[in-house]
Amino acid sequence: MQPTNRLSLALRLTAATALLAVLGLWVATGAHLGWTQTSKVVVQHDEVTGIDFPVREKTFVAGVEVLAVGAGFAAALAAASVFTNRRRA
Amino acid sequence: MNSLLRSSLLATALVSAAYAAPQSFDFKDPKGVNNVQFHLDAPLESITGTATGISGTVVFDTAAPESVTGKIVLATKSLTVGNPLMAEHLHSANWLDVAKYPEITFEAVKVANVKTKGAQVTADLTGNLTVKGVTKELTVPVTFTHLADKLGARLGDAKLKGDLLVLRATFEINRSDFNIMPGQATDKVAENIVLTLALAGAAQK
Repeated sequence: MQPTNRLSLALRLTAATALLAVLGLWVATGAHLGWTQTSKVVVQHDEVTGIDFPVREKTFVAGVEVLAVGAGFAAALAAASVFTNRRRA
Repeated sequence: MNSLLRSSLLATALVSAAYAAPQSFDFKDPKGVNNVQFHLDAPLESITGTATGISGTVVFDTAAPESVTGKIVLATKSLTVGNPLMAEHLHSANWLDVAKYPEITFEAVKVANVKTKGAQVTADLTGNLTVKGVTKELTVPVTFTHLADKLGARLGDAKLKGDLLVLRATFEINRSDFNIMPGQATDKVAENIVLTLALAGAAQK
């Protein structure tokens, strides 16, 4: 369905941009198939005791819930664009 | 000649006794190396967390490792996972209730199956594990490694004299046994939790 007004077009463009942005963020942070992580464990080795120990480093890894929220937001905008398009037609 | 021999024997005995005497190892770690890792299955991804707030004391005698006693304390606030919402849930009243139960403790009661190989001692350590106010006796396979005169090297101060005791253990507990959401949310988080400890204690001479 072709958009017949500016609002509908703007909503569709925003929806596409939001979907691409959230996909880009998810892929750029590692395409993690689990939950969002704000820290990661780096294992270090203590030479004297021989103990491997975890050190937490701050990071951001987008999880599937970020992807779901982004996709949901994009879908809502796309649905709104269809609705506004119908009202104007 | 006899008195010389007697003196030598006495000196040897005293030195041996000094080295074989039980030592008290403090597990408060200034280097932040001591750690407990916990692992449990969940549908989307398994959960692996870490904790570093460890303290406690273990009395260990290299000549009589079967006499080991002691208590290891873990500050529950130091338990964390990579996901902040999950960490918040973990600390909440439903799960570990860290505000009410700030410590997890394990106190040694008895030791069995002690085997010594060089500086390494393996044994089955039975003790009382207290989590969320619930105490259960359990037996844990442990490995002690006695590192003589390594305290200075560890803390980067050659003048410091003392020994290190490395304690390693891996064992499994059931969260329902410790009143952690017993029988609930089993579709979201497994009931069995695998705990892995790697700790080093220091005894200054």
